[in-house]
Amino acid sequence: MRFRSASFFFLLPVLALPAHPELDAALQRINARVAASPQAAALYLERGEIYLGAGDLLTAEANFQVAAELDPQLPRLDRARATLALSRRQPADAIRLLEGALRRNPADTEARILRARSQLASGHSAAAGEDFAAALALLEQPAPEIFLEYAACAANPIEAIRRLDAGCARLGAVPALLERALALEESAGLIDHAVSRLDRIIARVERPESWLKRRGDLLQRAGRPAEAGASYAAARTAIGRLPDWLQESPATTRLKHELVDSAPSLSLSP
Amino acid sequence: MKLRFNLLSLLLLLLAPGLLPAATTIVRGPYLQSATPTSMVVRWRTDLSERSVVSYGLAADKLTENARSAGVGTEHVVQLENLQPGTRYFYVVGNAPVPPPSTKAGAAAEDGPASAAMSSFTTPPPVGAAKPTRVWVLGDPGTKNDTQRAVRDVYQKFTGDRPTDLWLLLGDNAYPDGTDADYQKAIFELYPDFLRTSPVWPALGNHDAQSANSITQSGVYYDIFTLPTRGQAGGVPSGTEAYYSFDYANAHFICLDSQDSDRNPNGPMMQWLKADLAATSRDWIIAYFHHPTYTKGTHDSDRDADSAGRMNDMRAIFLPVLEAGGVDLVLTGHSHVYERSWLIDGHYGKSNTFNASAHVRQTGDGRAGGNGVYRKPRIRTEHAGEVSVVTGSAGHASTQPVPLNHPVFFLSLNEAGSSVIDINGLQLDFTFLNEKGEKRDWFSVIKE
Repeated sequence: MRFRSASFFFLLPVLALPAHPELDAALQRINARVAASPQAAALYLERGEIYLGAGDLLTAEANFQVAAELDPQLPRLDRARATLALSRRQPADAIRLLEGALRRNPADTEARILRARSQLASGHSAAAGEDFAAALALLEQPAPEIFLEYAACAANPIEAIRRLDAGCARLGAVPALLERALALEESAGLIDHAVSRLDRIIARVERPESWLKRRGDLLQRAGRPAEAGASYAAARTAIGRLPDWLQESPATTRLKHELVDSAPSLSLSP
Repeated sequence: MKLRFNLLSLLLLLLAPGLLPAATTIVRGPYLQSATPTSMVVRWRTDLSERSVVSYGLAADKLTENARSAGVGTEHVVQLENLQPGTRYFYVVGNAPVPPPSTKAGAAAEDGPASAAMSSFTTPPPVGAAKPTRVWVLGDPGTKNDTQRAVRDVYQKFTGDRPTDLWLLLGDNAYPDGTDADYQKAIFELYPDFLRTSPVWPALGNHDAQSANSITQSGVYYDIFTLPTRGQAGGVPSGTEAYYSFDYANAHFICLDSQDSDRNPNGPMMQWLKADLAATSRDWIIAYFHHPTYTKGTHDSDRDADSAGRMNDMRAIFLPVLEAGGVDLVLTGHSHVYERSWLIDGHYGKSNTFNASAHVRQTGDGRAGGNGVYRKPRIRTEHAGEVSVVTGSAGHASTQPVPLNHPVFFLSLNEAGSSVIDINGLQLDFTFLNEKGEKRDWFSVIKE
């Protein structure tokens, strides 16, 4: 077996990483497989991914290079090399590699998300948004993070809120999506939208008191003190419905004090 | 012509699902998922594609209801709905309903699952109401070896006729890579009786993550398990199967993903955790995830590089939030030992920053027959203390000597075994059973 590059020499100190039980075990297993099949490109890719996961970028690169020399068309190789490039903050290189990966397999959602992140890192928000949208269309159960990133590429708050709402429609009332949408709505002056969102949350949660307090705070900041006062009072009523052992908890007691501070007409006792 | 007709008939038979009643074999399951007081997900796998039907009812000879999922396939996922809380149901899985009770007793429908085995499960009780609850906890079980079998068998003997209400897998459920074949051997062929009678709630470990991706929610772990993402089993919607929560009686269980999800203080998992803790009204809060907050076993929580800092993150970022939220028990694995703390709070640094006078809320062994069970106020109080347990030896203990000297722990053992939680109203009893069946640790927490 002849290697055309010097990368082979990077493969020699494979056990030079600090002792790490799983990493050592994984390397032992893959090293044994490489020794048994030294021409198998996929094994070098797999070993490179282990090093990449461990943060050893140089050894990861060497393994990827050997894999590329053995089989330039190896599936997943471009994606792995793009991950490496992005780890090195080289998004342009990552995009170039991922274009190859996506040409071969347009349904590769991991490559699509990686390219979206690389586009975002390069300042190409619109292109990033297109890739996130394409990935979201392909994924059956995307993680909330993807909707957050998709919203972050939006050209304006309205579009960002629309994307977050699309996430809530698919995933449910996920706190990270709700919080981001509420913040955007308030900063864009869409107070009624934010109030409606809070009302929907309040209607379905087991303990609405802190959400009612937030509703009051939002209305207070928006210069609507009468409606704010009603929200604070509703929060106080909700506290009164909790079992004693929750009503008297330090967290609830703090909330009661905050409510009284916000609306002095309310009382600490039921 | 006749030959062509016969071939065509054969082809039609092969392509028509459900027409060959005895041709398929169940190769996995059935297993129970996402249990709620009124619903249960039943899953199984067959070697050939067919329809998915669960026949169920309140007695083994009265399977009066049928639930189906659309289409045909080898992976069967059927949700039973409108169940009664705290009720035992008998069920059979197959490609067609079993005969209704009005047909000849004991006879299977012509196209029914004649050889399908009868199983049963009990739905969780109404949420909030106390009910004696037994939980089996397995950390890092998936070695497929004799130790894993021994740990299983001693628990089976220990629990006897007492049903297991639910069981938790703390990650590294199937070695070495969490592949489908690994899961088949390490979980589905090791625990068939538990799987068909008691819902299992898993956490993602580093070995499971070799074959899974939390961002795309794809791969073996996510394909195998059906977990609540919309708060349908209690708690706040997480939007992901990587981390989730559920209620059982008066306990709230929180599963975090210490392996593959964003662990930043302002990340989605943290935002969800805070909301989930604030939303629960249950008496007990039990958190579980793979990477321990403290350990000096086969891993070392003092070493930043160990597990790429995940143990640091869970201790320094997530544990303060859990303790502020009133968590009672933190269960982890990863380190193939058993380590159990006192009732502690506020220790978020390395082991050399541990200060017993500041961080131990209650000293003693936590035992009624020893120097006293741990007591916490009934009123939900932040930082009232929790017990951290590393129980990561359900598949193997360390074959090498390990330090076992983290000062936060009351007891540290390099022994294979599993843990058992019994909740009875405002008392929680915890037991660690080693693979020989010896009760090697136990403690209780009482709320008053």
